[in-house]
Amino acid sequence: MVDVFVPDTLDEAVGFLGHHAGAAIPIAGGTDVLVDTRTGRSAPEWLVDLSSLPGLGGVELDGEVLRLGALTRIRAVELDPELQRRAVALVEAAKVLGSVQIRTMATVGGNLCHGTPSAEMPPALLVHDAVAEIVGLGGRRSIPLAELFAGPGRTTLGPDELLTSLRARVRASSAGSCYLRQTVRWSMDLAGVGVAASVEVEGTTVTSARVALAAVAPVPLLVGSATETVVGTDLPSEVADEAGRQAAAACSPISDARGTADYRREVVSVLVPRALRIAWLRATGAWPEGVPAPVNGVWTEEDL
Amino acid sequence: MRIELRVNGDDYRREVEPDLTLLHFLRDVLGLTGTKWGCLTGDCGACTVLVDGEPVVSCLQLACQVRDREVTTVEGLETADGLDEVQAAFVSNGAAQCGFCTPGMIVAVEALLRSNPSPTEAQVRESLSGNLCRCTGYNKIVDAALQAARARLLATDIA
Amino acid sequence: MPAGPVGELQVVGHRLPKLDAPQKVTGQIAYADDLRMSGLLEGAILRSPHPHARILSIDVSAAERLPGVRAVIHAGNVEQRRFGYGDDNLPLKGDKVRFIGDEVAAVAAVDEETARRALELIRVDYEVLPAVFDPFEALEDASPSIHDELPGVVGNVAMRWDFDDGDVDAAAARAAAIVEGMYSAPQAAPAPIETHVVIASFSPSGHLTVWSPVHMVFMYRKALADCLGLDWQNITVIQPPVGGSFGGKIDIDSHDFIAVMLARHARRPVRLVMTREEEFIGTRTRQPIHFRLRTGADAEGNLLFRDAEVVSDNGAYNAWGSHAMLVAMSTITSMYRVPNSRIRCAVVYTNKNYGGSVRGFGNPQATFAVEQQMEELADALGMDPMDLRLKNANQSGDVTPQGMKITSCGLSECLRIVREQSGWDQRRGTMRDRHRGLGAAAFIHVGGGARIYGSDGCGAIVKVDDSGQVTLISGSSELGQGSETALAMIVAEEMGVPIGSVQVVNSNTDIKPWDVGVHASRTTFVAGNAARLAAAAARDKLLATAAELLGAPPAELRIRNGMVEVAAEPDRRIDFARAVRRRLLREEGTVVMATAFYDPPTEHQDKEYRGNISAAYGFGAHVAEVEVDPGTGMVRLLNLWTAHDVGRAINPMSCEGQIEGGSAMGAGLALSEELVMFDGQIAAPNFHDYGMPTAVDVPRIVVNLVETVDPLGPFGAKGVGEAGIIPPPAAIANAIADATGIRPRAYPMRPWKVKQWIDSGERSHVVVAKGGLDDG
Repeated sequence: MVDVFVPDTLDEAVGFLGHHAGAAIPIAGGTDVLVDTRTGRSAPEWLVDLSSLPGLGGVELDGEVLRLGALTRIRAVELDPELQRRAVALVEAAKVLGSVQIRTMATVGGNLCHGTPSAEMPPALLVHDAVAEIVGLGGRRSIPLAELFAGPGRTTLGPDELLTSLRARVRASSAGSCYLRQTVRWSMDLAGVGVAASVEVEGTTVTSARVALAAVAPVPLLVGSATETVVGTDLPSEVADEAGRQAAAACSPISDARGTADYRREVVSVLVPRALRIAWLRATGAWPEGVPAPVNGVWTEEDL
Repeated sequence: MRIELRVNGDDYRREVEPDLTLLHFLRDVLGLTGTKWGCLTGDCGACTVLVDGEPVVSCLQLACQVRDREVTTVEGLETADGLDEVQAAFVSNGAAQCGFCTPGMIVAVEALLRSNPSPTEAQVRESLSGNLCRCTGYNKIVDAALQAARARLLATDIA
Repeated sequence: MPAGPVGELQVVGHRLPKLDAPQKVTGQIAYADDLRMSGLLEGAILRSPHPHARILSIDVSAAERLPGVRAVIHAGNVEQRRFGYGDDNLPLKGDKVRFIGDEVAAVAAVDEETARRALELIRVDYEVLPAVFDPFEALEDASPSIHDELPGVVGNVAMRWDFDDGDVDAAAARAAAIVEGMYSAPQAAPAPIETHVVIASFSPSGHLTVWSPVHMVFMYRKALADCLGLDWQNITVIQPPVGGSFGGKIDIDSHDFIAVMLARHARRPVRLVMTREEEFIGTRTRQPIHFRLRTGADAEGNLLFRDAEVVSDNGAYNAWGSHAMLVAMSTITSMYRVPNSRIRCAVVYTNKNYGGSVRGFGNPQATFAVEQQMEELADALGMDPMDLRLKNANQSGDVTPQGMKITSCGLSECLRIVREQSGWDQRRGTMRDRHRGLGAAAFIHVGGGARIYGSDGCGAIVKVDDSGQVTLISGSSELGQGSETALAMIVAEEMGVPIGSVQVVNSNTDIKPWDVGVHASRTTFVAGNAARLAAAAARDKLLATAAELLGAPPAELRIRNGMVEVAAEPDRRIDFARAVRRRLLREEGTVVMATAFYDPPTEHQDKEYRGNISAAYGFGAHVAEVEVDPGTGMVRLLNLWTAHDVGRAINPMSCEGQIEGGSAMGAGLALSEELVMFDGQIAAPNFHDYGMPTAVDVPRIVVNLVETVDPLGPFGAKGVGEAGIIPPPAAIANAIADATGIRPRAYPMRPWKVKQWIDSGERSHVVVAKGGLDDG
């Protein structure tokens, strides 16, 4: 049987985790942790309930910097009007994560720290240059989010460490982002391939871009080469397609029930240009505000 | 672990195993068997209840995590006049067949209507996507949700 | 009983809520897992981790020593006999295990956690044997033999279903066009939201009561007795409200026997609850079927022949799934007028979970092949597929090559309705630039019983008590499909009483009269006719007494809305309950009660698979509209128009519910549902990966009820329970073909597969025969 420890402070939580290294794991929303304990994927002696720790939730904006508390519920991200304007990829990724119930329970930090390669939050945060803020027995540290992920189900966090918040870059104008997926069902599904893209422009010319992928490598993947290809262009479709090919070359998918490795690579090459184009349309103001991208990025002029 | 919480308007104080889920607390400790389970992995929504008015899958919620909070189950929806609008609409639209998903489905509709009193059909479908129904094909559930929304708006207008 | 004249209907034909709906929306209704019982133990089953292995030894001593454990059973310490077709199965396996999930041992303990811990303490030594998962490989000489203990089984062939009618080769020689191809259906699951739960309890005197969601209760009782050496007079089966079945709970399973054996050993009531994972791994599935089909027609579009080689992937044992060819065959021979047909079918054992009787029972699989070829053939002939269908459509009065007598048939009307509503003539073939397409499929399915047993009948008792409460005691079962309400409506209509006066009792074998069970979409037709007969007899008793009170002969009386009135003078009337009391509350009084047993005029198929297996047949047609994303292969189902010949809709709302639910299940089969398996292991036995459609995955389904008023159905009704699931895989495949030009070969048409067909250019295989076509 698993016991539950309810710390009153962050320090207490970190202290307990450090003291029970390997035998205690944190639980917040519980939507991954309790599935793992039930199916035997993990067998901790202790669950450390973070859900009522103060100060770890909330969406705050300070200029171009977004601070997301690790305990922020996915549902809060989905419904945040400011994120809807400034970090659509994050909102779109939140919207397709599980069900309303799961999103009401699950936290941003949990989605990142569970280390699921197909998770929605990582690529969406990666394209917004997220930095992870971590606290442990040794104090606080910050790392680029990409360095948090170590492999399927694994992070680089020490057993005593907790992710406390994310800082991300969310420009108010001349920037756009997007999150697309390939799935079997159109809802309540894990990504077979997930693609996030962000673009910043001057006029119509791309000055900066990011592409990140889910479910096509042991960890969420930021694709640098695809980014370089599109900077300095007006993102015509042939350039977007080239970025897609580079992203496909950069990933290392596996074959499983959701599709073969070759199929996944091909889907990356299809979804990356779509995501980049939509992000660019948003950055240049050509995509109406508040209109979500279709799940797979297929749209016609009529949709807008 | 000792927890205090309010369920369907009644206050309870109980000693629970720390890893007891809210689902099993409701069914086995309080005897509120109206809340069903279909998977215990959060994929079917049959165990949906409201915690402080928000929908959660009670199979993935530890009872000790809802200490000092307010839980509403399908048993807590009936009003003094009988069935509430959502329940009544499920009856009159034929939205319950085997009925096993029904309690969770009704609670999910309640949650939707509290946050969005006049949803579109697409919004109803989107917000119910975490509640699997194997019997109905969803037509009549969606109809019931839309009708309940109308009925509730009308009742509010009259009030 | 003939339908008889149907005058002005008071109850039948109205949209009435289900009788049990208020209890369901409040959470009051108690399903099996909601029952509370003193002294109840929790059972758990140890299942094989190997797809094929010899059991060398089982050591349960550590499990037995665990405090709280009250019984540990395995083949070595129980009394059990073989069950299943061909006696190929044992509840607890003694010699070999044949799939991952096969039952090896079981425990009963004071709680679930103790039971699970006890399972971990059981040591089983296995000798792992080579396994075979592909039915085509299983047919090869070198394949491992799965049932080497059964001398009758050669080459892993559990059963053959071969059929010949006319001369296929001669017909092929005359054909102007022949299409041929392979069509495959996957392993899928009925996946009700409620998993299987069974409770077994012995009284001190040895009487066994079993609470089980099974819906062939009387056969279940006999099977329990036969397998476990019990006296079947001493068995009561109670069916709690069922949280969905779709055929998954129809039949007895190993876990049913195991629950009883545990209760016997523990001398305490035992409950076995399947987890969701066990539900997928260890309860019955829809077995995969592979069809190599050829269909030919002459230049005018008259069908000439169908020629099918079929391999049904049975899994490890014979349950009902082994008989799915019964239905698949009828679709190949009898969907449309087919003058010549040939079927060669092998049902093949493999080391996988085995097939049961899942909604549609072989028909979605066969229709996927047959109805794709109708559109492929039409395209090859340069005809519109709807015209080809209409030209060959079955009609009332037809007798099909298998001897199926088509009495009422609304197929052509159904086709015309969905053609019109979908804008077929204007839109099919015109939307490929937008990757959209339309596809159609029709179906034939039994709708008036299905004689698979000595009797195809159902009993009914109608009694009226002194309050005027009418109780129908029906042999049939309610699974959520609404049969209880439909039966109450039939009784209310026949007796002339309000629906509120009628209740239905149907859950206890001690009380209810015999019935085959709920299968083959038969309940409304068979149980409905039985209920109507009993109601009519009860009504006649009532009228005889009312005649005394009203001073008019019974023939001049009628009952409307609970009032017995003189037909010519409606003001001369009394409450029907008064007549009941008048009959009862006097010297030598009697109760108003009547019984009936209705066995439809159906025939057992003979050895050549001929015989009118059902007293009526249901027909219908669907058109699906899809949008395909050629980049990812993702398919969105945009529209589904359906038209079903239901004979008469007893309760139109329930009929729609059956068709909508079936159609959504069919859409799930078509696009997402599959038990993906690697080396005999179901990769992800959970709802998440299984792919059951959500409210977002299915569109609003359009339902048209076509009423042909069957001559034998109650008030003209025919069965409708399974129908909706049959056409969608074929209709959606045809729509994908229209949208993309490719030809789907297998469902579910998951994105990676669609993408693969697009990339490889999978097309129809059209064989142009002699005198061939100008344009191919």
